[in-house]
This record gives sequence, C-alpha cells and structure tokens, in this order.
Amino acid sequence: MSLRLLSLPCEARALALKQLRAVPARSFWSSTASQAATKPSGPEIYDVVCVGGGPAGLSLLSALRSSKSTSHLKIALIEGQDLNKSQQQYGSITGYSNRCSSLTPGSVKFLTDIGAWQHVNASRVQPYHSMQVWDGVSGSSITFDPQPTRSAPYPGYPPTNTSSTIATMTENANLTSGLFTHLSTLPPIDIHSSTRVENIELGTETEEADLSSWPIVTLSSSKQLAARLLVGADGQNSPVRTFAGIPSRGWDYGRMGVVATMRLSSAPGGDARIAYQRFLPTGPVALLPLPGDMASLVWSTTPANAALLKLLPKEDFIAMVNAAFRLLPVDLAYMHTLSSGQAEEVAWREPNTSFSHMQVPPKVVDVQDGSVAPFPLKMRHADTYHGQRVALIGDAAHTIHPLAGQGLNQGLGDAAALASHIEKAVNVGWDVGSSWALEGYTAEQWIKNNAMLGVVDKLHKVYSAESGPVVWGRSLGLDLVDKLGGLKGWFMRQAAGGKRGRGHKAAWMPRLCGRILHLKQLKSYNIRPHINNRRGTVEANPLYLTPRSPVEVPQSSFQPIILSLNRTITPAPITI
Amino acid sequence: MATIRAVRPFALPAPVRQLILSSRPAFYSTASSPAPPPQSTVSETEVSHFSDLASSWWDPHGPSRILHLMNPLRHTFIQRCRSRHPDSASSEKLRYLDVGCGGGIFAESAARHPQTKSVTAIDPTPQVIAVAQKHQRTDPRLMEPGRLTYLNTAIENIPLPPTPEQGVDILTCFEVIEHIRHPRPFLAQLLPHVKPGGWLVMSTISRTWTSWFTTKLVAEDIMGIVPRGTHDWNQYINVEEMKAWADKLPGWGSPQSMGVIYVPGVGWREVRNSESWGNYFFAIKKDA
Repeated sequence: MSLRLLSLPCEARALALKQLRAVPARSFWSSTASQAATKPSGPEIYDVVCVGGGPAGLSLLSALRSSKSTSHLKIALIEGQDLNKSQQQYGSITGYSNRCSSLTPGSVKFLTDIGAWQHVNASRVQPYHSMQVWDGVSGSSITFDPQPTRSAPYPGYPPTNTSSTIATMTENANLTSGLFTHLSTLPPIDIHSSTRVENIELGTETEEADLSSWPIVTLSSSKQLAARLLVGADGQNSPVRTFAGIPSRGWDYGRMGVVATMRLSSAPGGDARIAYQRFLPTGPVALLPLPGDMASLVWSTTPANAALLKLLPKEDFIAMVNAAFRLLPVDLAYMHTLSSGQAEEVAWREPNTSFSHMQVPPKVVDVQDGSVAPFPLKMRHADTYHGQRVALIGDAAHTIHPLAGQGLNQGLGDAAALASHIEKAVNVGWDVGSSWALEGYTAEQWIKNNAMLGVVDKLHKVYSAESGPVVWGRSLGLDLVDKLGGLKGWFMRQAAGGKRGRGHKAAWMPRLCGRILHLKQLKSYNIRPHINNRRGTVEANPLYLTPRSPVEVPQSSFQPIILSLNRTITPAPITI
Repeated sequence: MATIRAVRPFALPAPVRQLILSSRPAFYSTASSPAPPPQSTVSETEVSHFSDLASSWWDPHGPSRILHLMNPLRHTFIQRCRSRHPDSASSEKLRYLDVGCGGGIFAESAARHPQTKSVTAIDPTPQVIAVAQKHQRTDPRLMEPGRLTYLNTAIENIPLPPTPEQGVDILTCFEVIEHIRHPRPFLAQLLPHVKPGGWLVMSTISRTWTSWFTTKLVAEDIMGIVPRGTHDWNQYINVEEMKAWADKLPGWGSPQSMGVIYVPGVGWREVRNSESWGNYFFAIKKDA
C-alpha cells in the first residue's frame, strides 16, 4: 500500500496512513513515506540510477565509468546488502563459495576490456578446456575438446589458455568483489549500500522542470533520487520491472538446483581441466572444476530429491554425488527413497555397474561444510528490456535453466550492450533514458537471449524423457554432433559467445531479425513496445497502467523488494 | 496519424506535369522575382502543416520517428566536417544556431552534447516552438540557463552579431530548405550569423526521379512513413545546385556533402555518392 502512497491526493493519503497505522509496522514502509511527503527539497537528479549491485549492475557501472564518453555521467547505485561488508567477508572466506558461475570467453573479454578482470582474484578462478557431456539413460556422449586455433604456428602446438578455454569458473563473489574494487579505482559513483528501495513513482511537474516522465526512487534512508535512466539489475522479482509495468512470462520447471562445493580425489584432467555433465531423467548433474582438486556441483533434480540431498549425512551425500555420475537412473531413484545408508548402497552397486571410466569425473571425497543449498529452477523472460526511462538487465530481464551455464553470461552481455548503447546515445546527444537510446538495446539483446532461453528450455525437456523415441532421437543427435567436427565447433562458438566484445558492431541482419521478431512477439501480446506510463495516456495502454490506487497493489508486490535485494533468502541460480 | 491535408488524387501526375511545364529549377526561380518581404522566406502553408504535426513530434512511434532516427547522422556529419578542417576543430565548446528547429529534435541533442556551450533554436511556427519548449522542460539539464533557447521567430528577426567573431560556430538548417519557397535569399540571411571558421550545415533532398519515388510515392503515399503533404518535390534542391551556389559565395569554401538513405527496419545509412538519390547533408565553411 505504501508503495503508491505518495501519488495519492492528500485526503486519500491521510486515510491510507490511518489505515496503515492499524497494521503492525513493517520495516520496509516504516515512517519514511510520511517524512518524504513533507520533505520540501526535490529529488536529487542522476543520469543513471542502478538498482542492484550484483554482477550485472556492477559490470554495467564499471563499463560506463571506464568509457571516455560516459565517464562523466552522474551515477547512483542502490544495493540492499552492505557491499563493503560482503567485500570483507569474501576476503576472509575459507574454501570456496557455493555460488559459482562459468564465464564464457566473451564475458571474460568484456570484463577485460572494461578493466575489471585484473581485479578478480586470479588464484581463485579456474578455466577449463574440455567438457564431457553424456546421456544418463542411453549413454550417448559428446566430448567438447579444445578447438584447434588457426593461428597455431605448427600442428600439435599446445593450446594456450586463452585460445582454447571453453569457459572460466569463478565464484560470483570473486567477480562482484573484483568489479567493486575496479569501481573504486574510477571516478566515484554514489553508492547507497545496505539500502532498500522503498518506493518508485513518477515525478511531478514543478516550476523548474517537468519530471513527470522521470522515475523517482525513494530509499529506505528517505533520500529521493530522480533517474534519467533507471536500471533494474534487481533480480528475478525486479521492483523496477514491476514499476515499469513490463510483464515477465515463463514457467517453473518443478525442479531444484542443488549446489555444493566438493573436493575430488584428484584435479579433473590435470592441466587441461574437464567439466562433466550427465543428463539424468530428473535433470542434469554437473561438476565444474575449481582451482586445485575442488569442484562446484550443480544437480538439478526434483524438489523431493533436493530436500533429501540437503538432509543427508555427509558420507551419504558424497556417495550420492558419485553415484549420480556412475549408477543407472533406476538405482539413483531407489536410493532417493532412503533417508540414509546411501554410502553402503553405492559401495556394492558401483562395482556391479558398467560405465566408462574415461567419461566420469574423479571420485568426490569431501563436501565443504554448509555448502549444500537448493534453489528453484525457472524460466522467465520480460516482454521488453526497456520502458520510459527504464532498462532491465540480468535476472530482472530473464531467468534461465542453469544447464548450459548461460545465466550470468547473459547478464554480462546485457550490461555490455546497454553500456554501448548509452555511450552511443551520449555521443549523439540523445537522452539516455529515451526510447531512441534504449530501443537498440532491446533489439540487440532480446532476440539473442530469447534464442538461448528457448534452446536451453528444449534441452531440459528433451532430456527429461526416460525412454522411447525421444531418447533414441536425442542419443542419435548427440552421437552425430559428436562426430561432425564442424557442427560441434559451431555449437561451441555459440556457447562461448566469444565474438561479442565491447563496442562490437553487431551485424545488421540479426539486429533486423531481432527487431522484427521482437515486435511480432509484442504484437501477439497486443502491446506496444514503448512502455507508455505517462499520465494522460495510460488509458490507451491498460497493460502499462502502473497501479496507483492503494487497493490495486497486491500485498505480494512488497515482497520483491525484500527478496531481490536480500540475496541470502533466495540465492541466485548458480550457473555451470 | 492525423491526415494533414485533404487526400490528394494519386500523386503521380503532379510532378510529371511540373517537370514538363517548368524547365527552370525551383532553386533559381527567385532570381527573377522581386525581393521578398522580410517574412516571406517562410510559406504560410508550411507553417500550418507543421503546426498540425506538433502534438506527435516527440512520440517515438509517431510520424516524426524517421527524423529522430536521422538525428545521429547529423552529429556524425558535423563531427566529420570539423575533423577534416583541424583549424575549426578547437577544443572550445561550440555555440549553435538551429534554424527551423521544429520540435527541437536536433536542438535538444546538440544542447545535450558534451562538446556544446549553447544552442539557440528558432522556428516560425508557434505550435512547434511550444512543443519544443514543453519537451525541453522534461530534461533539467536543458533547463540550465543559456544552454538551450527557443525563439518563435524567423531568421530575418534575429539581430546580426555585433562583430563577426561573435557569430556562432555551427549554424544548422536541417530539412528546412525544401520547405522554403525562395531558398537563395533565405540562405543569404543565414550567412552573416556564422563566425569566421564556423560552419553552415544543411540537409535537404535532391530533386530527382529516385527522390520523388522514395520521398513522395513510397514514404508519403504507399508506406505512410511520413505524413502526406510533408514534401513539395519541386522545392527539392540538387547537390550540384548547392555546390554551384556555394562556389559563387565570397568568403566561403570547403564544401562537404554526405548522402544518406533510409532502409525500413534498419534505419538511416550513409551511402557514398548517394547525394543525388535523395537525402543528403551539405556544409560550407566560412573562411577564418
């Protein structure tokens, strides 16, 4: 209710406040609304206000600050967590965080170009050079080996780390810490750390200027910021997206991703590290290399299985992880019904199961205490990435199944694209919050992300089958792709995203297709791409009507602010 | 989209007839006519046409969309002109005079540009100046004193700079000349406002078959990208005519041009040597 309180006429506001007083005080509305209402001074004006200090938000701001054209912009960052404290916590961490991501070469290039990669702790990242993927039902497999580079001086030249890396594993905290350090070396931005967004609403027309198209962000510190461009890097339940009235569509997979930090008996693959992924009918299980003999586990499975895995004693959990890469799906299904004793079950089942020792990862010998955590898997895609003075990046714009490890990379891709479109807009004098500046961003990223979301979604569905023609078909397909080097290389390049660098001029053809397909998509929802939430024209576009009356705002619209900015409640998907 | 004028019969015969009947290019037609009174560089029908367009000027999907999309190329062209003549590419911030600013598409972008000191923008249509001023208020940066000034007036009423050095660095006149009945006296009035070393930057459309096909038949009649009646093909000026005019101007030189083409779905693209196909930019530099 308080979310829209300020836009109400005086009498209605008084009434609403009276009603609210009867309700037990909630921390997020507190007394700030009434303070702000009486505050005489106007909001402080910013060029870019970014809500959310995760990898996407921080990399966008790093990119803006490190470019000559955009380094002068007045920027504010709002983050629910204490960024300095997170920084210190990461500095004193023992072992590895369970929230890891696999960065494509394209993402690493972007981070290098903006100067942030050098601030990431290199001793805690692990590139891998080969990937072993196989079908848990049919046993069909595909091996992604390092691609021979054309620039090799002679055949058999040992692959260098940069040219043959499939991806680089890093803890998300290492990345955000590096980005944060990088930002501190650049012209300062106004950081509102451990601060929540209380309210976002459109500004008003005054003597000096007409801010009726500007989002005004009220912080928990009761400070008000007017945003020329409000960037929602605020996660899956993005309050910025809610404010802009941009619908996000998709579905829940009914699966949980179980993450954990594991110790292996040996480093997988030695110098040229290997990542492993096995498709089980309940979902893929993956083991991604971290430095030394450590590895990051992501196991997508049913909520019941996930709950059991979380509760299992240490040795049984370890046995289950080893079994997930070795035993038959039927054995696994049986062991998921036991509340303990999996270690003994695996001990006699494994010698009696045939599997390729070349295919499976080294044995897991330990799990880091307290690192086992489940999170729900879902697919979501916002209808558009921009509205009037609003842009969405990262999880605020899309959520993807982690099986291809693309989630964080998509977020970094958004940041790179948005930064380059803002740069272009500044250079030609466009208002960076205008549709002219932002529509190119949506056109460039939306179709790319939509294609990836679609492919990953179909992969999940195809590999959920336990028997029948779907299994034959997918096995035939996997075997074929494995044997056709050219096609496999193409797939790898798509996944690596290596071509997109900062300032890279996307080919016009995909951009045209992007524009057309995006418009077509919007047309099917019967909405206009431009989010028109100006007063006076909202009736024409009911879909973009931002709820203004207190009764129209459902209680649940409070939740996103808490959930998305307090990351300890919902860990963001860990991508592989 | 509002229909601007009563729908005319199919447009094909008009330009054909004009082409046959009038052998004199429109650009020179004023040479023999008596000197126009001060206000007459602006035609009344043009003023009413643009006042009808005013309400939709800043709608991103409205009839002025194509002009908004062209705007970045104007900056590209100005930067190119200045970089080709390093003596005019000083690091000092620039002063602009935008003549025929309409709803302020270029004036706003120039005023927002980091390299700009101030912009004065004029237009004879009161409604579009009102739109421009209303939109200016949506950006506090543009409301900074002296950054962007709109005047509802014609160039005749702008006082000349007291000394040539007090003229503007860049005088822009985008998509205006084709709406002017007597372009030569109009252009002559622009020249004294530019300081030595400064640029007069214009854009217009060539009077050719391709431009008639693209701007009249396709853009106005078939696809409706721009409102019907926006252009009068007979008032288009060819780049050769511009060059011939510029060559005879004492104290001016370094003519520059750039042809641009609008590809639906892709946007405006610079196409080399396409000046005679349709839209083009043209600039001349005042001798320092």
